[in-house]
Amino acid sequence: MKRSKPAFRSLLLCFLILTWTTGFSLPAFAQGTAPLRYEIWVELDNVQKMLRGKEEIVWTNASKDVVPDMYLHLYYNAFKNEKSTVSRENKEETMFGGDRIEDGQWGWIDITSIQLADGRDLKPTMEFVAKDEPLHPGDQTVVRVVFPEPVKPAESVHLMLEFQSKIPRGAMRTGYYQNSYFIAQWFPKPGVYEEGKGWNCHEYHLSSEFFADFADFKVHITVPENFVVGASGKQVQAVSDDAQKKVSYTYAQSQIHDFAWTASPNFIKIERDFVADQEVTPQEYAEVAGKLGMSVEEIKLPDVKMILLIQRQHKNQSEYHFKALRAAIKYYGLWYGPYPYETVTMVDPPFRTGSGGMEYPTLFTAGTRVLRSGDVLSPAGVIVHEFGHGYWYGLSANNEFEEAWLDEGINTYSTGKVLAKAFGPGAMAFVFKGIPLNWFIPFPKFYDYETDRAAAINIVAYDPIVTRSWEFYNRGSYSANVYMRAATCLDTLERFVGDETMAKIMRTFQMRFRYKHPTTRDFIGVASEIAGKDMTWFFEELFYTTLNFDYGIGSLTSVEKPKYVRGIFEVDGKKEEMTGRKIRELEAKEKEGKPDPQKAVYLTTVILRRFGEARVRPDAPLKVKVVFEDGTEEVRTWDGQERWARMAFEKPAKARSAQIDPDTVWLIDSNLANNSYQFKKARAGIFRFTAKVLFLVQNYLQSLGGLI
Amino acid sequence: MSILKLFGKGFQTASKKSRLLVYLWLVNILFALIIIVPFYFLVQGDFENSFSGESLSTFSPLWLGDIIYKYQNVFPAVVGGLLIPGLLFVLLYVFLNGGIIGRIAAAEEKINLAGFFSDCGKYFWRFVRVSLMSLVGYVVVLGILMKIVSIPFEAWIKNASGDWSNIIAQNLKFLITILLLSVVQMFFDYVRISLVLEASTKTLRASSSTLSFLAGRFFKAWPLYLLVDVFLAAGSILLWVLGNQIPKGIGGLVVLFFWIQIVIVFRLWVKLVFFTTEYHFYRAHKF
Repeated sequence: MKRSKPAFRSLLLCFLILTWTTGFSLPAFAQGTAPLRYEIWVELDNVQKMLRGKEEIVWTNASKDVVPDMYLHLYYNAFKNEKSTVSRENKEETMFGGDRIEDGQWGWIDITSIQLADGRDLKPTMEFVAKDEPLHPGDQTVVRVVFPEPVKPAESVHLMLEFQSKIPRGAMRTGYYQNSYFIAQWFPKPGVYEEGKGWNCHEYHLSSEFFADFADFKVHITVPENFVVGASGKQVQAVSDDAQKKVSYTYAQSQIHDFAWTASPNFIKIERDFVADQEVTPQEYAEVAGKLGMSVEEIKLPDVKMILLIQRQHKNQSEYHFKALRAAIKYYGLWYGPYPYETVTMVDPPFRTGSGGMEYPTLFTAGTRVLRSGDVLSPAGVIVHEFGHGYWYGLSANNEFEEAWLDEGINTYSTGKVLAKAFGPGAMAFVFKGIPLNWFIPFPKFYDYETDRAAAINIVAYDPIVTRSWEFYNRGSYSANVYMRAATCLDTLERFVGDETMAKIMRTFQMRFRYKHPTTRDFIGVASEIAGKDMTWFFEELFYTTLNFDYGIGSLTSVEKPKYVRGIFEVDGKKEEMTGRKIRELEAKEKEGKPDPQKAVYLTTVILRRFGEARVRPDAPLKVKVVFEDGTEEVRTWDGQERWARMAFEKPAKARSAQIDPDTVWLIDSNLANNSYQFKKARAGIFRFTAKVLFLVQNYLQSLGGLI
Repeated sequence: MSILKLFGKGFQTASKKSRLLVYLWLVNILFALIIIVPFYFLVQGDFENSFSGESLSTFSPLWLGDIIYKYQNVFPAVVGGLLIPGLLFVLLYVFLNGGIIGRIAAAEEKINLAGFFSDCGKYFWRFVRVSLMSLVGYVVVLGILMKIVSIPFEAWIKNASGDWSNIIAQNLKFLITILLLSVVQMFFDYVRISLVLEASTKTLRASSSTLSFLAGRFFKAWPLYLLVDVFLAAGSILLWVLGNQIPKGIGGLVVLFFWIQIVIVFRLWVKLVFFTTEYHFYRAHKF
């Protein structure tokens, strides 16, 4: 960052203040073309922990409706009192609840003035609205204003607001601690107008993120002069006021739907460049282009300015942060489409501000510890994931209130793929009193899809993946469904349609719905189009229901087919009885001679079961593989529609094993153990496992005995 | 007598009384097997004929997910299956402690089952009372002392400006907790030893006399106790390192089983060393 000369800076600051106090006369801004435009002036009061701001919103009615009003989010009021929807939901939460705002730490936002550009006051029409069920009438996170005249299609409305906010101490993604701030969801923000439906403007919910329209932003942030600032978009100006010991930074960015910023005197700001030609080799371009069926030129990546704001205590991890971010920019860019903005700002969240691991357009927060283990992909995991939200939510901007899986699930799936490609498997973090136990104990490493599946199969009974965020059973169900189960279902889809087709689905979905608000139906449409077959059933079965998917082997038998059977038979025109005794005699006679193994025929019967309620479709049958003692194998398919099916094989060898879905296409299957049956018993594995449990139990007992 | 000499003496005595280890180990493994056998059959039933069965030898979230899914309704029973035998085991250990200390005190006698169980029975009710009193000690440490100790730490970390304060405070608090708990454990060990050596049945009186015994010798008795703790920690680390070298496969499985039992026997043996060093310390200073 290069600052202007002090005299010029002061002049510019005066100009900014003047324009602020004299009615937002910014003709260039007002004449812009984006359907939604913001210009915001905000000053941070470091003593009172307040924000004081002015905001200009120009909204153009792009629908065919005549719109009489506007709904705006006032998210900070979620932290105003215990009547807010967030507070009420927090009290009712059965799993991850109990977050409590302490006395004196509340946050709120007041619109002190709201008028049209011609001066007509809208404040008398202002009313709080809380429509989401169950109703929380005391919530003040959504406000409605009524226009004097309805806004006709293609007409614009020009609003001018003044607001002041008390910053909460550290609550749900925003807050302050000492002199450090992370400021998110902080300004009055219109909902999304949906043609024929009206304003989509939900209250701030405990288990939900956000939804907003793409806009052009210009934001002027005034902070004490010793503060380091990071924000969405690109810094275009910095003006110092030496007398006041303040600096005003101006950030601008078009085509984003939110704006967050951070300020702290404790940040170290480091910049690096992502130079595409150095990061991606021609072979990598060629490989990805081939997979996607595109030319190398079409997938070329642009350079990106990477900005890191990191706490001093984590300074030694700076290059690790950049390494992870480089991998994210590279693989998201190659696979899903080029990153379209000039900058990305990565924030190591200020200590105790409750703002870690969150995404905003062109800016995200990571989060690390002073002590970290090289075996654990942290903070790489959170960096890749939050950057990835720049694609899934940032660009392909679904409604996170209503269909959160579209960004969280897709992004969890994408994160797993990027981490696997760039870093390989990682160990889970085990930390005791801040010290990584991974330093001392070599915990096993595995890929994200494995851990995701463990959560995914155990949550199915609670809610469908496609559920409105605040209507999940609890936050555990919300998280496990929209992140892990959705990701596991996408991994399953990838295995089902194939790696290349899936790559094309993901890229098409991203590029087609950039700067738009896609829905689950849009994703299904793209998946069906690219796969060349209707995939609706896959989503109906796995995303819209709580049906458990579990196919397995019911039983496997393999016996020698008897040569002789009892009963009455026609022999030379006469009826003869074959008795048990006769059979025994014939068999004994045969045994005396040299047995001919070639002549033995074995009857193998496999009973296939559908233990779960979810079903595949007849045109997507399950593979069944039976392996025989002579090394041969036979593969058949089962349409999987009934609860069970029998398959019989007559072969010159006994069966060794039978397996349904031998390629583990159906990763979402809740019981992979019953997918196979082998006659040879897997004793070593079970003994080893039991021995380890025995060790734990013996130590447990010994520890108890040592206490008394 | 110096601490190191007492430690050496305790070490020697524990080695001489190694038959006690057999009794203790048998009890430990029998109890563990009672807990583990139903679980083994459960897992065997579900995994023995599955390809997943072999993968159980190394940790994988894939089979872990399966196990959680399959046995989610069994978890309360698993918890109960661990808690109830655990409590019974504690009671049994109170019983066995009588035999351990009684046989250590019978310095010249050979260890046999009759003598061992005779001492177990002889001191059982006295030791039950001591154990109940030790619970009060734990409550005092964890419920009162640690709350007091926490006050300056909380004040310190309340206005911390980084992770380090938290980490240092947490670890210091943990260390203090461990040290305070070691004092409680040591004190009640000496009460038990005093009951045996003084042939007393009065636990309160023994506690009071132990208090005055340790009051003047605390900074000799406690380092001795901590020295055995260090020995336990060092041995455990060594065994852990060795355990990580165990190969997979059938041969490795046998080695693994033996290694597990060596770890347990080592822990039992250190338990004996605690008692023998304390016994020698008590004798050296009391008689």
